[in-house]
Amino acid sequence: MNGSVLSLRGISKSYGAVRALVDVDLEIRPHEVVAVIGDNGAGKSTLAGVISGALVPDAGQVLLDGQPVSLSTPAAARSHGIAAVFQDGALCANLDVVENIFLGQEVTRAVLLDEVAMEKQAWTLLGQLAARVPSVRIPVGALSGGQRQAVAIARSLLGEPRVLVLDEPTSALGITQTAEVLSLIERLRERGHGVVLISHSMADVQAVADRIVVLRLGRVNGEFDAASTSYEDLIAAVTGATSGAPRRGAPDVARGDGPRPAARPGPARAEVPGRADGPRRPDAHEVIP
Amino acid sequence: MSAVQQRGSLTQVELAGVTGLSPATVSNIVKELTVLGVLHTAPTSRSGRRAQQVTLARNLGLVAGVHFGTRSMRVALSDVAHRVIAEQRMPLPPDHRADAGLDRAALLLTEMVESLDASMGEVLAVGVGVPAPVDVRTGRIATVGMLRGWDGVSVSEVLERRIGIPVHVDNDANLGALAEVRLGAARGARHVLYLKVSHGVGGGLVLNGEVFHGRSGTAGEIGHVTLDDNGPICRCGNRGCLETFVGAPVLLAMLAASHGHLTLRDVITRAQDGDPGCRRVISDAGLHLGAAAANVCNVFDPELVVVGGQLAEAGAILLDPLRTVLAQRTVPSTAGPVDVVASELGASAEVRGALAVALDRAAIAGSVAVVG
Repeated sequence: MNGSVLSLRGISKSYGAVRALVDVDLEIRPHEVVAVIGDNGAGKSTLAGVISGALVPDAGQVLLDGQPVSLSTPAAARSHGIAAVFQDGALCANLDVVENIFLGQEVTRAVLLDEVAMEKQAWTLLGQLAARVPSVRIPVGALSGGQRQAVAIARSLLGEPRVLVLDEPTSALGITQTAEVLSLIERLRERGHGVVLISHSMADVQAVADRIVVLRLGRVNGEFDAASTSYEDLIAAVTGATSGAPRRGAPDVARGDGPRPAARPGPARAEVPGRADGPRRPDAHEVIP
Repeated sequence: MSAVQQRGSLTQVELAGVTGLSPATVSNIVKELTVLGVLHTAPTSRSGRRAQQVTLARNLGLVAGVHFGTRSMRVALSDVAHRVIAEQRMPLPPDHRADAGLDRAALLLTEMVESLDASMGEVLAVGVGVPAPVDVRTGRIATVGMLRGWDGVSVSEVLERRIGIPVHVDNDANLGALAEVRLGAARGARHVLYLKVSHGVGGGLVLNGEVFHGRSGTAGEIGHVTLDDNGPICRCGNRGCLETFVGAPVLLAMLAASHGHLTLRDVITRAQDGDPGCRRVISDAGLHLGAAAANVCNVFDPELVVVGGQLAEAGAILLDPLRTVLAQRTVPSTAGPVDVVASELGASAEVRGALAVALDRAAIAGSVAVVG
């Protein structure tokens, strides 16, 4: 529907001899959850780093609203409206919820901190996320994993970013907390943010994503419409049982506003003989625990 | 006793009205049961007069309700007085599988019970709603192909083995109907048609205050009433079912060319903000629903039609065309056209119904001993 907020074109990144990302394209649109999945070492976190300005790619272009930009530092990314929440949430356990949300970007009145304004805004943010936090004046260390994740996300929402990168938001969470974080991601989407969800939990990704991009060994190994793609197809792309699922052509020409072809992985399936036959699937299941 | 159990809490005067006993008799029974610790009374006021609010005592245990939707799951816990203590929603992948889904439900339920400082032993029964016809006697999904990944699964058996608590399964629209009759928009009505319009379309029939299941559980499947003999093939295998006109995938596909990729919630929000395309899609869905509902109403003449499910949140945009068509196509009655109202319990209707079923079936030790 809308054009992309952020486009990555031909991004490559190497750590010495390790090619973490090779010629990766990614479109991030507003009001959409795009999930990036892949095996360990597929380049998911590197990609998150590139989008959030923590890592500078060796090659490739980052376009914001079609204009090339340089995301050389996290602060630069933030100023372009891109915020990230990393696995650990980067919260200070000894500070309370308000202090954490506003850490480094405190609201001041004259030379003093405006605690009232900050507390109000904290409640507004948490309210919009429908996060269940008992009080904003208790140390973050006393909250559950899901509540901490909500605080970390609320923190990233300050300054109304257009793109939000969530790196493994549900790993190390119990099921209730996972349920809360997934509902939270749905509400971020409803608020109109473009959300990049990086995860290796297939069930979580399929539950909330609109689009799923599979990374394998640093390359994009297929992009799928979440609603019409089966678990088996995703597993096949993650493990490499299917390779070279159609790369998107020149984005501006091929996609536009037209309806997205539902069966995009179709042709790939036909090209790889025997892929859809039974024997491979059990293997695929065994590879991914 | 069962009257209190069904309605959660009510005053002694209302209790007398419901049971048909004299107020003095009710007062005596309530006193007796309060002493035995089964009921709990609290002073309250009703139309300005002093009254006694009667509820079941809380120490009797908990019941749980689970609702599997097409794209989400909802788990709720309540005490035996119908008071919801905890509720949690979880998005699910499309075409989720029974094993993974039931596993997540069991885990979620266990965690929620633990977070209340209760133990699973206190949970008396679990009610489960699934979006497919269910044979309530066996707890088995009664058709093939309606809920992919769940075919032939005996939900109650699998879940009972997992958590060791009696599980009662029903179709989710039937549970929604039950909840609306007991606690929601259709309180006091005896014959009710409930429509659940979300990703799929379901229906529940309430006759004489009881959910009607039919021979094998497929009663009320209004989503599979034929609207067009030559229409598209439905997931049930027939052609031109109501669901092939108003199911969420169909509505979203209609908007895909002009609006791009949307979710059902986006469509509702945009329609309410005045987007003409989204309004049109929803009001057309109302017309189709009205046509199908009219057939049902002509057959069993309900007092009330309650419309629930996510699409009902669109309000008048959906309900006005539905009312118009329904009034046109039903046999004119001296009582006027049947009332159509939106669900009162909203997204929680089905899970509240699951709680109600669990409560009905729960072997509340106290009730058996005292009433017997």
